[in-house]
Amino acid sequence: MSEGNILEVKDLHVDIHMTEGLLTAVRGVNFEMKKGETLGLVGESGCGKSLTCKAILGINDRKCVPSGQILFDSEGLGKVDLLSLDPKGQNIRSIRGKEISMIFQEPMVAFSPMYTIGNQINEATRLHITKDKKKSKEISMEVMRKVGIANVEKRYNQYPHEFSGGMLQRALIAMALVCNPKMLIADEPTTALDVTIQAQILELMKELQKDFNMAILFITHDLGVVAKMCDRVAVMYLGKIVESAEASEIYANPQHPYTRGLIGSVHKIGSRKEDRLFSIEGTVPLAMNLPKACGFYDRCDVRIEGLCDKAEPELTEIAPGHKIACFNCPHEACRAQREKVEAMLKKEAVKNG
Amino acid sequence: MDKENILEVKGLHKRFTSKGVTVKAVTDVSFNVKPGETIGIVGESGCGKTTLGRCIVRAYSASEGEVFYRTKSGEELDFLKADKKKMKEIRKEIQMIFQDPYSSLDPRMTVLDIIKEPLRANYPNMSKDEMDQKAKAMAEKVGLNPTYLMRYPHAFSGGQRQRIGIARALVIEPQIIVCDEAVSALDVSIQAQVINLLRDLQKELKLTYLFISHDLSVVEHISDKVGVMYLGQMVEFAPAEELFEKPRHPYTEALLSAVPVADPTIQMNRIPLKGEIPNPANPPSGCYFHERCHYCIDKCRTDSPKLTTTQDGRSCACHRADELGLRGFTYDENAKTQKAGK
Repeated sequence: MSEGNILEVKDLHVDIHMTEGLLTAVRGVNFEMKKGETLGLVGESGCGKSLTCKAILGINDRKCVPSGQILFDSEGLGKVDLLSLDPKGQNIRSIRGKEISMIFQEPMVAFSPMYTIGNQINEATRLHITKDKKKSKEISMEVMRKVGIANVEKRYNQYPHEFSGGMLQRALIAMALVCNPKMLIADEPTTALDVTIQAQILELMKELQKDFNMAILFITHDLGVVAKMCDRVAVMYLGKIVESAEASEIYANPQHPYTRGLIGSVHKIGSRKEDRLFSIEGTVPLAMNLPKACGFYDRCDVRIEGLCDKAEPELTEIAPGHKIACFNCPHEACRAQREKVEAMLKKEAVKNG
Repeated sequence: MDKENILEVKGLHKRFTSKGVTVKAVTDVSFNVKPGETIGIVGESGCGKTTLGRCIVRAYSASEGEVFYRTKSGEELDFLKADKKKMKEIRKEIQMIFQDPYSSLDPRMTVLDIIKEPLRANYPNMSKDEMDQKAKAMAEKVGLNPTYLMRYPHAFSGGQRQRIGIARALVIEPQIIVCDEAVSALDVSIQAQVINLLRDLQKELKLTYLFISHDLSVVEHISDKVGVMYLGQMVEFAPAEELFEKPRHPYTEALLSAVPVADPTIQMNRIPLKGEIPNPANPPSGCYFHERCHYCIDKCRTDSPKLTTTQDGRSCACHRADELGLRGFTYDENAKTQKAGK
């Protein structure tokens, strides 16, 4: 594990055993996160971004089996492979919620309606920090104040239905931050909120990130939110990362046809208004019995017949920090890969007569 | 009713009463729609935009007000006062597309049956073959493979389901479609597909859209005119480009400043709103927005501003609309000429 990294995901696969067969939802994901940085994980529903996060925390459904390596620089355990830990064991529990915590998509669903907000925030405090009831209540209230909940004494004893969506999301953030985690996973934290509330929550998260010096893994399909929040962006498609780069780079200079399509399909207010939005035709295929081909082949507008449907491109670095998995990229490194694969395919063809 | 208009909403009110508490969900909303236009309605959740849409299709009966509608035969009718028979006639011409493509389709009906249902309900004398034919033609038009029509909704993805919903709305050849958050539940790339489809159909079938959404960039893309709602009131109504470039109501300004822009080089200065949306059961005195407004003066606390239309055809409900000079999005010149030529 390199110095300065808090998380390294290496060749992560997640298999889902379904009655219809084996579905490989995540197919070899590699990325790393530095301390204190924000990485955006972008992609359409079903591309495996949520499963990747759940694998980090070991909270996958029983049917989902992750494999590979997830290295984490833990305070209590040193450098550990999170996947090697028993998902029900003591070790992962000392990390889950304390060193890595998570904000879920829908604040309305994430809270239990039967307990007060204070009680639920307190759960993490009592588990990880102190058993003392008075002290833990104080700590929880302090965090609630920090995330901008007014009138904490009253709010602490209220139930989730008495909160508005934005306030509930603040409470959820308080719950995630109460143990001062080094890493936060935010799974579409603002998708269910209005734009004005969304802007507030994003600004709050940025502020808190500075205060707590945490790394944030930010999952979203909203490219506007990514532009506002993230230092680096990784674009996922069909269980693989197809492009990753600095945020400014990916917007100014998107290389993968899927990234270009994603950015093009968002209408920018005030931009040149054409009659039609750029759209990627077709839908994401089901990740079952996939042929050995580029996953984006069917929907791609720059595919190369006889190459992209025969082999899968690998993630290649084309500039410092900018990686892309595409054969049809004019960059040298990609061309070298393409020539190599083409030569290999030729050899195979000769061998098979 | 003006001869140019297809729909006129006048002084529409909707109140819900429960346990003795009255919530004013829609208060005094008026606007006109010309045939072939797209009207965008934006606002935060709870501002009454969905209620407004439902009142217009008479899924809710409005408490007060009038909705005038011009039928295909040129007849002018007050939709809200029409008797059952007339109402059915009008319903054929005003249809709705719903937000959630998962819950708005009956899981126990085949797709063909779902698309056929409006025909069955409105044309009881139509032969089965004709219905099948019409449904299949419409399915093809919205980009569904006709060989899949005997399947059930669960076999379709979100984008395809939304296409089914669109086909169902269009099969009886309506004039007006109320799209209630029609693309909000879809992924961006699929969203672009459905928006393109809606625009193509509009051109082909000369449809009029009432496009209700909280996504401002989608509304800006698709709409000719945009209405902004706050706490049940229409606070601003103007041509889309003008509204986004030079908002006149402080709430519109704040809303625009919160839109995340998919470009890290642009940093909008967000105008923070104080507090939260007030409880609609107990709205503030005077202007409903005054507690959260940065430009509030004494008059705003006592007098409720009326939606007034100025000479340039824009309406705004703010005492200080003329003097403020609010900030919106900057448009490049290309975009303007492009839109003017449309």
